[in-house]
Formats: sequence, C-alpha cells, structure tokens
Amino acid sequence: MSREDHKYYFEVLELSPDATLSEIEYAYHHLKRLYSTDSIAIAPLAEEFSGKGKKKILEQIEEAYTRLKILLKNEQSIPPQKKSSVSKDDLKSEKDDSILFSGPGLRRVREKLAIGLYEISLSTKIRLELLENIEHERFELLPQEVYLKQHLRNYASYLSLVPKKVVDDYIERYRAWKSRDEDNTY
Amino acid sequence: MERVNRDKEGKIWAIGGGKGGTGKSFITSSIGTYLAGKGNKVVLIDVDIGGANLHTILGIKRPRKSLTDFFETKLPLYQLTVKTGIEDMYLITGDIHSLSSDNIKFFQKLRLFRHIMKLNTQYALIDLGSGSHTNTIDTFLIADKMIAVVEPEILSIENMYHFIKNALFRKVKVSLRAHGFREIVDHMWMSRKRYKIKNLKDLIDSLKGFSYIGDILAEELSDFTIYLILNKVRTGQDILVGSSIKSIFMKYLGIECQFVGYIEHDDSVWRSMRRRQPFMLNYASSPCTKEIETSTENLIKGNEIKLPRV
Repeated sequence: MSREDHKYYFEVLELSPDATLSEIEYAYHHLKRLYSTDSIAIAPLAEEFSGKGKKKILEQIEEAYTRLKILLKNEQSIPPQKKSSVSKDDLKSEKDDSILFSGPGLRRVREKLAIGLYEISLSTKIRLELLENIEHERFELLPQEVYLKQHLRNYASYLSLVPKKVVDDYIERYRAWKSRDEDNTY
Repeated sequence: MERVNRDKEGKIWAIGGGKGGTGKSFITSSIGTYLAGKGNKVVLIDVDIGGANLHTILGIKRPRKSLTDFFETKLPLYQLTVKTGIEDMYLITGDIHSLSSDNIKFFQKLRLFRHIMKLNTQYALIDLGSGSHTNTIDTFLIADKMIAVVEPEILSIENMYHFIKNALFRKVKVSLRAHGFREIVDHMWMSRKRYKIKNLKDLIDSLKGFSYIGDILAEELSDFTIYLILNKVRTGQDILVGSSIKSIFMKYLGIECQFVGYIEHDDSVWRSMRRRQPFMLNYASSPCTKEIETSTENLIKGNEIKLPRV
C-alpha cells in the first residue's frame, strides 16, 4: 500500500500525492460541502447535470477520503494525528439531532475533534476570548444577538455541525438567560 | 482555428470570461504593467470590438488607428501600436466604427491571428470582449494561456461556464476538422439522444471512445487548461468559489483548470479609473496591486495560488 497506488484517490480529492492529513481533511470537507449544497459555483450547471451525477461524485469523494485516511494511518513515518483517531461513530452521538448545543456541548464536540480554539479563531476571525465566552456561556459578555448568531454559524460550520441547529439551541439558552436577567433588573 | 507555426518566442495570453464588467480590461492592463515593469516588452491588444476601452483604463487618448485600419487596409499589425505612457508597454486598440464583429471575414480573422503571432514582443496580452461569439472564442483559442476572469457572483459564473464550454466545443470541432472529420461532432451532438449524450463531457467521452479520434483528441486537448482569476473578491468565502469552480471544471467538464489568483474588491480601482490614472503605478500599496503581481507570477511559473484556510 503506497501513495502511488492511491494516486486516483488523491486525484479525486484534487490533491498531489504528497498531501498531508490536514490537507486531505480540508479538501474532503470543501468538496463535500460543494457537491452536497447548491452553491453559486454549481447552480448554473444544475440543469445539465443530474442529481445522479452529483451523487456519484459524492460517493467517489467519500471513498477517496476513507481510503486515504487508512493509508495515512498506516504510514509509519508520519506520527498519527489526534484527529484521525476519531472515528465517525465516536462523533455520531454528538452530531445526533437529539444533542443540545449548549456552550459545554459545543466544547465537547470540539475537543473530540481535537480542534483547538486558536485554530478556529484563526480561520473564522472570531476573537479567542469570545469563543471562550461562548463555550463557557458567559452570556453577559457576548455581543448582540445578530452578531452572536453569525459567530455561532461560523463556529458550527468549522466543526462541520449543522449551523441552524447550533444557532437555535444556543440562542434559546441565551434568550432564557436574557429574560431572567431582565426580570432581575426590574 | 489552425495553429500557425510560430517563429517568435513571444507568449500570447488571452483574457476572456464571458460576462462584461468583470474586470477583464483592468486585469489585462495591470498584468501588462507588471510584466513591463519586470523588463519585458508587452503589447496589449484590445479586440473588444465595439467596446474597446483599454485606452481609457490606461488614461490615454483613443488611438487614431485601430483594428479597423488593419482590416480595411494592408497595414501590418505592428504599425497600429501606440505608446501607453508605461515604458515597454504598447497598445493596439480594437475600436471599430464601421465594422461589427459579424462582418469580419474568415480570412481577415486568420490574417489577424498570423500578425498577432508574429508581433515582435515578449508578451502579447489579448483583451477579449464579452459574449461567446465565434470570433471571440477563436481568438481565445490561439493563446498560449487562456485566462478566464470571473466574479464570485452567479451571473458571472454562469456566463463564464457558457464561454468555456463553447471554447471547448469549438476546440474539439476544429481539432477533428483539421484531421478530416468534418461532420462527426455536429452529427453526434444532433443525435445525442440516440447516443445517450447529455452534455459536453459525455460527448467528448464518447468521441474518445473511437480509437483514432480518441488519440487526436487526447493530443489536442492535452494543453487545454483554463487559468482562473477571481476578481472583486469581498470575503474569504468568496475566495473558495475559485477552488469550487476549479473542481467543477475538472469533475463536471473534464477540463484542466488552474486557479492562479484572486483580486480583492477595492474602491481605489474605481477611483483611479475615474481619475484616468493607470492603477498599478498610482496604487502600489493597494492589496490589489500585490494580488495582481502574485497572479501574474503564478501565470509565468505555472503555479496555483496558495489559499488561506477559510
């Protein structure tokens, strides 16, 4: 099992055969999102290409991702990264619709994915303190609801969670706190 | 279009992309300015027939001689070049009063291509007009580098796909015609239901199935690469549209695509145009200037843009 044998899978993910695990993860998430949503890049071709074609591409992407992850896991020279040791089943319980995305809940998901707050902060441009405040539910330090929603959406999509569900859950808790807070003031 | 043998070392880059107003002329002039600044001789050719405006972007008067003179007289192309105010960079303007692009005869077009290829210059940058007219597409196809400018916006993307698909279709047709297969492409496309062909990729895949034709196509399409420049980018998410388009080109259309760069939306571009100043020289510190330099370097070296993780 060498990278040479897996050339096709690297091609499916549009990577060169020397790609790192994080490049593979990134390419996988990008492509998966691209071909499972109706982005502006794909919409103009929707009429020509059936849902079947899309489905096939998605299957190829999934297969390539699974194969490459196994390949990289088996590569001795590269120390296994935490992220690869999380299997989909581990996350399933967290991604399940039944879970409530409170601050600590979000934090748990993030830690399971072995993603640091700093990493999220860098790519979402959300301040580190703000992310901490979100996770610790320091509601009094959070920005206005509209801004908060946007931050939550970015945070959620970085963790590949369903943004709407995260926003709904979190905002519900935020509003509950707010009404309590207002009650106390008067 | 038949490729004419080139006796010069110069490179031809064509900048197209379908929709008007995406910044083709701005990018052409800016890339030219950068190349000239590096000591290359550069000739900009504005073939936007009827809508030539490169001279305005460069802040110079409309040249008295244009491609009209080239088509109507025996004047060689190089005699139409005028100075642009930027050292080593020249302009040939396409402002045509009496001719609409439909009226350009086939042999006139071939003559223009021959002359472009013989220009004594290191770089010939062709600024194409909008639309997917055959003349525009043929001009695009003679280039060594086919550059598509697109905005991260649905209309622009739609037109660009249309333009590139037309270019690919034309390329396939012309390549096969040159080898004596005159009718096959049209025939297969007309009876596509029978061959279960739904789109251009299916068509090309079926054609590749014929042994001899397949070899011709593999050879002729081997250098069919689209170099993508994303213009008027506003957010990090916008930049991802470039990677998405590249992916769709490869997976849906079977076209090689290199995403060479993106250029931010910047009001100073608009300001400099209003003041009729050449942008690159007056706004050296604008992020756009840097991004154009990066994109051009990537074009020269055949690299892709290194993307920030968004």
